Amino acid sequence: MTVTKSLSPIAALLLASLVASAHAQAPARTPVDFQATLLAEARQANPAFKAFSAERGQTFFTATHGNDWSCSTCHTRNPAQAGAHDKTKKPIDALAPSANPRRFTDAAKVDKWFRRNCKDVLARECTAEEKGDLLTYLLTVKP
Amino acid sequence: MKTTRLLPLAALLLAGSAFAGDHRYTLSPAYVAECGSCHVAYPPALLTAPAWATTMQGLGKHFGSDASLDAKTHREISDWLQTQASTRDKHAVSGKTPRLTESTWFHKEHLNLSLPEKTTSIAQCNACHTRAEQGDFGEGSLKSNRR
Repeated sequence: MTVTKSLSPIAALLLASLVASAHAQAPARTPVDFQATLLAEARQANPAFKAFSAERGQTFFTATHGNDWSCSTCHTRNPAQAGAHDKTKKPIDALAPSANPRRFTDAAKVDKWFRRNCKDVLARECTAEEKGDLLTYLLTVKP
Repeated sequence: MKTTRLLPLAALLLAGSAFAGDHRYTLSPAYVAECGSCHVAYPPALLTAPAWATTMQGLGKHFGSDASLDAKTHREISDWLQTQASTRDKHAVSGKTPRLTESTWFHKEHLNLSLPEKTTSIAQCNACHTRAEQGDFGEGSLKSNRR
């Protein structure tokens, strides 16, 4: 408690503003953080669920799931290389975190693209298990 | 104090849509980030306000893709598009999926041109307008596609 007492008013103010700014911004996340969150979600949905599988993730990535597109249609079969939108041909940066460190660091973006792209490929949202398998696969991809 | 008084004017100028006549368009960061991630961030002044409203209402199935946005971003981009939209008949298009490539103006401007090699869609403005991604459709950045 002596530490708290010895804090000058200015230091206390600085500390308070630091805490406030940390709350204002979304915390920095890593692909491994997302993997942990997805694992908790997958186990909540299915208490018997053991672990994600990179192999299942790779199969999921290249499958068309009964529709026209697979993930690899746009992201290519090598997620460490850049892809392109199938219709507009607009380039898409590499998806594998090893090749593109910005991937899986922003929760809003991760949620948005999973929501949109799962609807495009599977005509429904993906489950936590599917997302976790996919991310686990992507984390095994070397640049 | 002069500088301070001029600032709102400068801000207004910068926030304006097209700089009349030179085919350069100011694009909002949210529009570029959200709409420009899948295709060229098309000049908002090439469609009318009702056409943009229809487009924004149909983002769940946008030219065959899910392009849905969170509510806050959706409102921000919708509002911005309404302020930038064209009020001229030559930019009007009809239908459930408005395409700016179907306006009278677009046809007139692109009538005798064919798509360059390796270009599969007329939506790829940047195949000829080399600075389309920056909202610059001026003559100076145009790559000729007449063969």
